[in-house]
Amino acid sequence: MFTTIYGRFLGLCRQWLYRSRFLQICILIAFWYLGQEIAQTSSIPIPGSIIGLFTVLALLYTGILHISELALGAEWFLAEMLLFFIPAVPAVLNHHEFLGWVGIKVLLIILLGTIIVMLCTAYIVDFCFHHLEKHPPSKQS
Amino acid sequence: MTLLTQILENHATLATIEVTVLWSVVTVALYIASKHFYRRYPRWWTAPLVVTPILLIIITVLSHTDYTIYIGGTHWLVALLGPATVAFAVPIYKQREIIHRYWRTLAIGIVCGSTISMVSAWGLASMLGVAGSLRLSLLPRSISTPFAMTVSGEIGGVPELTAVFVILTGIWGAAFGEAALYLLPFKSSLARGTSFGLGAHVVGSSKAREIDPEEGAVAALVMVLTGIFNVLIAPLAEVALRQ
Repeated sequence: MFTTIYGRFLGLCRQWLYRSRFLQICILIAFWYLGQEIAQTSSIPIPGSIIGLFTVLALLYTGILHISELALGAEWFLAEMLLFFIPAVPAVLNHHEFLGWVGIKVLLIILLGTIIVMLCTAYIVDFCFHHLEKHPPSKQS
Repeated sequence: MTLLTQILENHATLATIEVTVLWSVVTVALYIASKHFYRRYPRWWTAPLVVTPILLIIITVLSHTDYTIYIGGTHWLVALLGPATVAFAVPIYKQREIIHRYWRTLAIGIVCGSTISMVSAWGLASMLGVAGSLRLSLLPRSISTPFAMTVSGEIGGVPELTAVFVILTGIWGAAFGEAALYLLPFKSSLARGTSFGLGAHVVGSSKAREIDPEEGAVAALVMVLTGIFNVLIAPLAEVALRQ
């Protein structure tokens, strides 16, 4: 009797979690905090957020966490990510050197560097795709 | 806490409650407003990624606000990049089929691409006479912001500058990729998706998704995996750069 009531209670909690974006956001923050604690106490040279990421991934793979228990929260974090890093942008104002030649040079490095990276990567992956993968799928273009 | 403490060490004194509330409200309101504006007038130059930082810079300049004070009030927003990194577990898990099927090609692409990205930035910077922490801040510019800022701090760059370089790289990479990758004979969506995700992170992968859903999935996955890979090798890179 008690176990069935307890089971139904857990089921209801799970249903609530599936629908509540806020709760899922809290869970992700909790995993981040856990990762930070692990990183600080164990002195592993990996940032706490990455430890948190791998923890969540492991729980998803083992089936302890279900994807629907995090999907809404994760979607929110990834969609609003811009908000979390725009406060860093006005820092350029403390760097007056960007207004002159240095700024143009930096821009040039970014433009050329990105072209090099994108073309080389596309070439390497295309080569591997045709030479390494045995059964390329029918959809190719 | 690494990233947050580093930003605070670089700048801030502790902010008063009024400063925190004021600048947090300004930042969030600006962000929401530019998102609404983009929904009504969707052009590349009205994207929140372009508009919000420019407006924010204009406002801080016009109000004569020192960056130290501004970040003192808004660093809690930057701290949320931590849980955002954890959230990347979900897209990895969703795309696990792609990893299982193409792990060899993806691994080679990510390792080579990341190396080329770092080496090309280093080489170009050295050729143009850009050195010091500015050159280091340029190295992780092609990965997603939370990862890039972490790497930048670790190898001795300035995380805030890296955030700006990441935005510029994303906008340019998406535009270049759309124009160039279709003129060139790269037929597999794996190649184009990897190129977008590795070269232009979030902006690139949303462009890729516009073009083809499968390409977008590959790009988003590669973006996350590249970010993780770069953070993991950052301690090694730091040792190599010291010598």
